[in-house]
Amino acid sequence: MNSAETALFGLPWWQAFVGGICTIAIFSFLYKENPFYRFFEHLYIGIATGIGVMATINTFLWPTVLKPMVGADRIPFPDGTYAEPYNEFYLLYLIPIAFGSLYYFILSRKHNWLAQLVIGFTLGYGGGLAFKATFNEMLPQLEDSFRPLYVAQQGAQSGIDWLATLSNLVFLFTLLTALSYFFFTFRRSEGGPAEKSALAGRWMMMGCFGAFFGATIMARMALLVERLEFLINKWFPLFFA
Amino acid sequence: MDSSARQKDSLAERLERIDRRVVYLLIALALSLPIIFGWKLPPAEMETADSFFRVVDELQPQQGKIVLIASDWGPGTQAENKPQTMIAMEHLMRKRIPFALISITPYAAPFLESMPRDIKEKLEAETPGETWNYGTDWINFGYRPGLIIMIQGLAKASDLHEVLKTDVSGTPLADLSIMDGVHTIRDISMLMEFTGLVSAFNYWVQFFQADGYRPPFVHGCTSITIPEAYIYYVSKQIVGLYEGVAGAAWYETLLTKKYPGRESGTALKINTSLAVAHVVIIALMILGNIGFLVRRGDS
Repeated sequence: MNSAETALFGLPWWQAFVGGICTIAIFSFLYKENPFYRFFEHLYIGIATGIGVMATINTFLWPTVLKPMVGADRIPFPDGTYAEPYNEFYLLYLIPIAFGSLYYFILSRKHNWLAQLVIGFTLGYGGGLAFKATFNEMLPQLEDSFRPLYVAQQGAQSGIDWLATLSNLVFLFTLLTALSYFFFTFRRSEGGPAEKSALAGRWMMMGCFGAFFGATIMARMALLVERLEFLINKWFPLFFA
Repeated sequence: MDSSARQKDSLAERLERIDRRVVYLLIALALSLPIIFGWKLPPAEMETADSFFRVVDELQPQQGKIVLIASDWGPGTQAENKPQTMIAMEHLMRKRIPFALISITPYAAPFLESMPRDIKEKLEAETPGETWNYGTDWINFGYRPGLIIMIQGLAKASDLHEVLKTDVSGTPLADLSIMDGVHTIRDISMLMEFTGLVSAFNYWVQFFQADGYRPPFVHGCTSITIPEAYIYYVSKQIVGLYEGVAGAAWYETLLTKKYPGRESGTALKINTSLAVAHVVIIALMILGNIGFLVRRGDS
């Protein structure tokens, strides 16, 4: 087999070929629902799940947990001895492994209370972390919301920086009106300032949602262009090069 | 109703109800033509990407300091996140700033291997005689499960060698010169995070800090999460931001200005396709609305 033939049916050729078939199969849904699409959709979900499981085993469970536990991480010498002695303390890993495995009792009607122990533990540490996370994330944003309503020009120029001042005013208006929209604990009088403020808040949020929608379209187009680039530059040349 | 009114009505109706498959075809054409003909439009200037460029450009290589690149994306968002990660990585490699790659997403693993090698090949072809090597210029920690537990573990580690132990291929960190002197979060001079997942980005914001220290943080997001990511930029929780692939395209322009001989990457190409597709979408929206207004006027 010459080099040209190897290139034709070599691994990169097959990778690109199968990639193109998968892409077209998924895009066929745009025309209409069909079994070709359905098959590749299931294939994709299966592969994605398999990769996740294997990546966790290969990059975490085996090298970090199981390998030290069975002593396979030690360097062996030709005479059968090892560079370092076996560390029995790694067997303590069995305790969290056993505790975590209790989750599988969720499948048992009689013993599913054991699974609840794991769920309770998870909720407990999750709650604690969420508490910390909220402060770490929100405090700087809260601090940033205290903005001056008069911004002086920087440097040699004196007077008001109109653009920055206007920007801060818009920010404050949006912040207060959007917050007022979410006051549901008292009755707003019809046509009163609280209702008007809530209405303004709703409009401000609509503007925000519009930005989100525009960004969503852009993101979806970007995903599509990557696939098209693959089809045009890598897949079609398989047949015409 | 006379024939001209009926004709007008049917044209308006057709404008308003263009078959979705025709819309898909037009969009596919709009996105494909710039790729086929190699068109490249100049990208819009972006203050957020300017800031990203500035902080990376001001960074200097220091013994015992590395940049941590959290590449939390997979094939699903590679169209935007891959050009972003590669352009930032290229900037670091050109400046000889060592960096470490890590991911909390398993699907990123193959990209963590291939991206720096692709850039190495490109740079070595561009500057004969110079070499970039694994273990001295970059290191790959691979996919690390555990999400926030892992991120917090890194931030609070008294010795990163103890926490991470080995690189992705099992080489002990002590055997890789890039890790000499790198022991705690304070030895990480910058954190770069690229993702299409808001939650992944949030984890790094929330937990990658210890003892009042958080390295300067820059972020690359997909277009869909720009409005959320912008909040963190305004509040200075991040000091630079790629706004989707458009941000990467502008960064690429800045990098080409600084290194005139460099070959441009994919960000500009994708950005041009997007610009053409946006024009088509806007045109379709206008046509649909004209159809709607004409029909409403008639009725």
